[in-house]
Amino acid sequence: MTESTATSTVEPILEVTGLVKHFPLTQGILFKKHVGAVRAVDGVDFTLAPGETLGIVGESGCGKSTVAKMLVNLERPTAGSIKYKGEDITKLSGRALKAVRRNIQMVFQDPYTSLNPRMTVGDIIGEPYDIHPEVAPKGDRRRRVQELLDVVGLNPEYVNRYPHQFSGGQRQRIGIARGLALRPEIIVADEPVSALDVSVQAQVINLLERLQGEFGLSYVFIAHDLSIVRHISDRVGVMYLGRIVEIGRDAEIYDHPTHPYTQALLSAVPVPDPEAREHRERIILVGDVPSPTNIPSGCRFRTRCWKAREKCEREVPALAVPAEFRHGAGPAAHASACHFAEEKQVVPPEESLDDQAEGAV
Amino acid sequence: MLLEVRDLRVEFRTRDGIAQAVNGVEYAVDAGQTLAVLGESGSGKSVTAQAIMGILDMPPGRITGGEILFKGRDLLKLKEDERRKIRGAEMAMIFQDALSALNPVLTVGDQLGEMFVVHRGMSGKDARAKAVELMDRVRIPAAKERVRDYPHQFSGGMRQRIMIAMALALEPSLIIADEPTTALDVTVQAQVMDLLAELRRELDMGLILITHDLGVVADVADRIAVMYAGRIVESAPVHDIYKAPAHPYTRGLLDSIPRLDQKGQELYAIKGLPPNLMKIPPGCAFHPRCPMARDVCRTDVPPLYEVTPSDGTRVSACHFWRECLDDRVDGHVNG
Repeated sequence: MTESTATSTVEPILEVTGLVKHFPLTQGILFKKHVGAVRAVDGVDFTLAPGETLGIVGESGCGKSTVAKMLVNLERPTAGSIKYKGEDITKLSGRALKAVRRNIQMVFQDPYTSLNPRMTVGDIIGEPYDIHPEVAPKGDRRRRVQELLDVVGLNPEYVNRYPHQFSGGQRQRIGIARGLALRPEIIVADEPVSALDVSVQAQVINLLERLQGEFGLSYVFIAHDLSIVRHISDRVGVMYLGRIVEIGRDAEIYDHPTHPYTQALLSAVPVPDPEAREHRERIILVGDVPSPTNIPSGCRFRTRCWKAREKCEREVPALAVPAEFRHGAGPAAHASACHFAEEKQVVPPEESLDDQAEGAV
Repeated sequence: MLLEVRDLRVEFRTRDGIAQAVNGVEYAVDAGQTLAVLGESGSGKSVTAQAIMGILDMPPGRITGGEILFKGRDLLKLKEDERRKIRGAEMAMIFQDALSALNPVLTVGDQLGEMFVVHRGMSGKDARAKAVELMDRVRIPAAKERVRDYPHQFSGGMRQRIMIAMALALEPSLIIADEPTTALDVTVQAQVMDLLAELRRELDMGLILITHDLGVVADVADRIAVMYAGRIVESAPVHDIYKAPAHPYTRGLLDSIPRLDQKGQELYAIKGLPPNLMKIPPGCAFHPRCPMARDVCRTDVPPLYEVTPSDGTRVSACHFWRECLDDRVDGHVNG
């Protein structure tokens, strides 16, 4: 797929800089006094190259879904910019905004609540054409909808059925068909398979990968399941408490993580192999994620970090390639927001599995 | 054997017909053992657990056959007041969603203490002291102060610890944990699973872990029972099943998970959908989705075959379990 150099030479289709979303906390009924803010997203930067999949992982409350909502303009950022082909979409309104939104579509997590139960599947998938009639003339819509059903692997004759007549996996396919209706260039998928059964998850993941090739889509794929994110992503960003703490190509993040949070997260993922039980080192973090209303000073991970020192309390670590790896070209040379970044392998290396992995690359 | 479920059958009467939720489940757990019951939604894994605990909604549910032997006694033959004495004291359950399983208008101290007041006849003061002790045991910081807090004042991981504390209160010999970490984040999930495993060892309890997560199973289970459409399709020691599954459904599940340590191109996907419990396919319920299905699978319900070579601890409900086993041993991986 995308090579490492491609991301730096090809102009990104999406460029996010300093993205911030604070939800104000108010007190009082009539005179709403600001008493603080939930700093849901607190300075996020990333780029997305055409045809690329960027995975964003993080635990609940880290702000990953808020980022998704801002990308499709369901939330207005407090600060920062989202540039789509060089144009800042947070500054747009009216007709110009509508034109851009056509190109960035979303697939939601819950296939049970994201489809209107009183609309037929045909109406759900065809609804985007009401807003953007230039894409499909009125007489052509039914045929287009049936084509889309076929593309996502559903019987085109189901066009008059209602969502409750479908299973979870099939509903997610309907959600994907709706996302594709306007022929977007970017799809933001927020936990698209986490509500599905294991055997159905694989079907939907395969569908998303096939569609990417077929339509040249770029994905922002948000999930908490690290194995699924690795499977589908070219690059991965790890979020913690409103910020990206480490970002790089999938092998850099999974095989050579340098940020302690990424290392803990990876080591905590249960590996479906009972043999790994004994010779696996697990980093068990203490405590819970701090509240986003009261973010720790300096490095926001320091309250749960086993490496935290005085410097972490004073200085906010920047998301950049750490100094000690800057001159090497190895896989550890990727952006990581830690003062004391060091490489650590946490996913168990196993000869047989390594061979298979290399064969697949 | 601490608990033995034999040929258990449960159905639900609904407006649209009768749903056959559990169709002859067989499994057993010994003291000090962890049995993982693996299955997708609708496979009957939770319904079986509810029948064991005696908390099945009846009606619409109905137990139509089988035995649940707990320490040699058939629970299904006991009267409700006898079962109530067993529930909580000798077997306890941990639920998936701690926020809805705990009472929002009582403090956690009251809820933990209630166990001792009802079952042990303790005074309120003694019960409260016991509650603090339990909260310490599941490592809730500042237990003494927090015993007066309400469930919503705790984080998800802490609430799940309170659920565990509640289940352990009377030191039961059997714990059933129904998806205990599904609602939690990975880093917190690791904390909770570690705690559960440690306490199980300490108290030498039997643990039935109901889950759909093959990773969690590999981490903690001694044995696995895989369920599909209300039946056990394969049951084996954990190492055997991951090395070489003897049922195509188990094999499909194992092949369809993306793994951190191997990035493949296309994932193997089991085709089709889980069956409708109102009309379970004849013969082997898995045959419409099975890549190995033949004529006999469409007509004959497979019994639980003993898988050899093994010491009689491994069974598979597949007519062609031998082929399934061999395929994997030869290094053949689907997809």
